[in-house]
Amino acid sequence: MADENENEKMDNENQKPEKMFTLKKWNAVAMWSWDVECDTCAICRVQVMDACLRCQAESKKDSYGKQDCVVVWGECNHSFHYCCMSLWVKQNNRCPLCQQEWSIQRMGK
Amino acid sequence: MSLKPRQVDFVSTWEAIQETIRGVITLDHVPRTVWNDRFSDVYSLCVAHPEPLADRLYTETQQYLADHTTQLLQKVQADGEHNLVKNYFHVWSQYSVGSQYLHSLYLYLNQQHIRSQKMSDAEIIYGSADPSTTNQGEQMEIGELALHVWTANMIWPLGSRLVKLLLEAIELDRAGQPPTIPLEAVRGTILSFVEVQAYKKKAHLHLYIELFEDPFLNDSGEHFKRDAALLLQEKDVSMYMERVKAKIEEELFRARRFLHASSLPKVAHRCELHMVADHLQFLYSECQNMVKYEKKKDLSNMYHLLKSVPNALVVLVDTVFDHIKNQGLSAIHNLQGESIHINFVENLLTVYKKYKELIKEVFKSDQNFMGALDKACNSVINHRPNDGRSPCRSPELLAKYCDTLLKKSSKGISEAEVDEKLSESIIIFKYIDDKDVFQKFYSRSLAKRLIHQQTQSMDAEESMIDRLKQACGYEFTSKLHRMFTDMSVSTDLNNKFQAFIKQEDIDLGINFGIYVLQAGAWPLGQAVVTPFALPQQLERSVQMFETFYHNRFNGRKLTWLHHLCQAELKLSYLRKPYVVTVQTFQMAILLLFEKTDALTCKEIRETLQLNTDQFKRHAVSLVDSKLLLSDTEEIDETETTLRLNMDYSNKRTKFRITAAIQKETPHEVEQTMNSVEEDRKMYLQAAIVRIMKSRKVLKHNLLIQEVYAQSKVSFAPSVQLIKKCIESLIDKQYIERTPHSSEEYSYVA
Ligand SMILES: [Zn+2]
Ligand SMILES: [Zn+2]
Ligand SMILES: [Zn+2]
Repeated sequence: MADENENEKMDNENQKPEKMFTLKKWNAVAMWSWDVECDTCAICRVQVMDACLRCQAESKKDSYGKQDCVVVWGECNHSFHYCCMSLWVKQNNRCPLCQQEWSIQRMGK
Repeated sequence: MSLKPRQVDFVSTWEAIQETIRGVITLDHVPRTVWNDRFSDVYSLCVAHPEPLADRLYTETQQYLADHTTQLLQKVQADGEHNLVKNYFHVWSQYSVGSQYLHSLYLYLNQQHIRSQKMSDAEIIYGSADPSTTNQGEQMEIGELALHVWTANMIWPLGSRLVKLLLEAIELDRAGQPPTIPLEAVRGTILSFVEVQAYKKKAHLHLYIELFEDPFLNDSGEHFKRDAALLLQEKDVSMYMERVKAKIEEELFRARRFLHASSLPKVAHRCELHMVADHLQFLYSECQNMVKYEKKKDLSNMYHLLKSVPNALVVLVDTVFDHIKNQGLSAIHNLQGESIHINFVENLLTVYKKYKELIKEVFKSDQNFMGALDKACNSVINHRPNDGRSPCRSPELLAKYCDTLLKKSSKGISEAEVDEKLSESIIIFKYIDDKDVFQKFYSRSLAKRLIHQQTQSMDAEESMIDRLKQACGYEFTSKLHRMFTDMSVSTDLNNKFQAFIKQEDIDLGINFGIYVLQAGAWPLGQAVVTPFALPQQLERSVQMFETFYHNRFNGRKLTWLHHLCQAELKLSYLRKPYVVTVQTFQMAILLLFEKTDALTCKEIRETLQLNTDQFKRHAVSLVDSKLLLSDTEEIDETETTLRLNMDYSNKRTKFRITAAIQKETPHEVEQTMNSVEEDRKMYLQAAIVRIMKSRKVLKHNLLIQEVYAQSKVSFAPSVQLIKKCIESLIDKQYIERTPHSSEEYSYVA
């Protein structure tokens, strides 16, 4: 990644007394997950990081197994699969966990 | 010649015809003009005025032939019994040809008079008519009539005497004695029994079979029994088989010389019956040894002989199965050392290839034996040691084998060789029952290769995944694909991040790169995030990237996996500069020595907030590499003082300290096995939902069957587990029991 000469040039230009250790490069690894209070969707009881059961069953054949099954947060800050919640609200417009009236605060992207 | 019907004098015309018949039937010379005249005479009689004389002509001809054959019967018996066959064959040769000429002479009678009153061919073949009765009352064409008369007047009176002589002649031939009857006469006489029925549409071999073939086969049967008994006295299976094989060849050769072609398989069958089928136990007695010592010639003979007897191969097939299984098990028994996984796979492949080749060579790739090979491989590869108490290690070892091939290594093995070995590993893979366990181990090592940039070639990685996909389907490899997707998404993110800091004119002070992995897609164990005080040099990078990332995505959080990060440090305090690749925790420890030459372990741990376990692993690796020096033999996480080795030197100016990472611990293996169970439940539940969604209503047993069929490519689920998953889906209201039956489910939309 990027070129190392730039750093070296910088070192020379600044003419600082050379440090014993110079950190040249850092290859970091991070993991992303939905920022949720509870890892599991209370409606289908599947981890929100995985697609909901219905989406898994459909096993969409589009590229590389990525399934568009995102997370939705309510005003109450509870979160579910968007697929699961949209089926749920057809029967009952309340959060399954706290019974508050359901309104969407934000959607995962 | 006139075609007009006219009055004809029967007696004088018949007299002329009769004279010519005599010449024709004895193959005497008949001048062309005479032949033509008689040909017209037959016509004239058939169309005679006022009344056609065809029937009378027919009766007279029949009578003539009867008288003629009665004379021949006397003639052939005149020289005694030992000349009977020869004489019979002689007169038959004449008569059979003569009767064909006669048939031609009567062309008009055959075509106009007889054929019109006969039933059509179709009626005879498909109708209910019995051909034996049609011969009685009805008129026949003259050629057939001649043969019919021959049968009645020659074959019936002489048949049993002829057959007795024929069988004696054949027995003499078997004994290798010189013939007393010309062989041509023997063959010709036997075939006459077929030829006299040549006009029959149905069962034209009937006479031959009843008169000759049956007695012949019974006679031969007795001969084979005697022969077998004689050979058995030697008590040598190998020799016995050779002899029997030769015997069958010899009998077929004899049959080809003397008999009608339809008898050949019957002769072979008789021989096999008495020499093979009757002595199976004797043959089986050596099976074990022949298989054990892989005596190819004997096995090939055994195969050819047993193949002819229904179900007789089973014993040999089972013996071969046991043998391959034992060879397979001993090839992987007690493997020791660092390269167990390599020995395991390559030894198994050797066994597989060896027996596949043997089966091809010896058993002509017979499906029974190919099946035994499959069954044996299956039971070896899925074998659980310790009477089934230990888990099967094949999935783990095979995955490790693939890892060794796909990982960067210094061993000089060409890309083509790697490809060849990987494609052969699929042979083993196909026999594994728990393919999902293999997938677990495979994805773990793939994750490590990708994150630590240990991949030898992306092409090789992808073609291996394609092979797995071909063998198991899309679903099986979708998780592996997700990892590749994350890698390419990360490349894109890095580019955008570089553009971002350039635009914002930010200087991170280091060269920064990152992999962002999707949680759940990567088998990183429990990804224990341990506490860690980030060195100040990295803070800005982390901050800037988080800002950048949260601007792009909604509702996501990032967890930094420091135990997987790597850094390149330039060391400038030694005689020459070095660049060393280390893990983040190792880097953090080293950076502390910028300001001081010596630190106690307690100080280091407190500054970095590392837990004891993490600290020890990395401190040990730095001391082992001699970058740091310890003042105690064993590192104590509190008391020991570490100092920088100012005299460090290395031949290479760029090197890596890896010790602490890539070793698969027993703990990890156990973790992997446990996560399989959870994944199986998920997989089964998804399968049930999928099936129920398309079927709407389904009976319990059918549902179980379908789920089983769908999951078979990846693992063999127990019925218990499927039932558990059905119950849990009922709980979650994906499906429900139908009102009329507890054994039936319906889908809840
Ligand atoms: Zn859900
Ligand atoms: Zn979904
Ligand atoms: Zn709520």
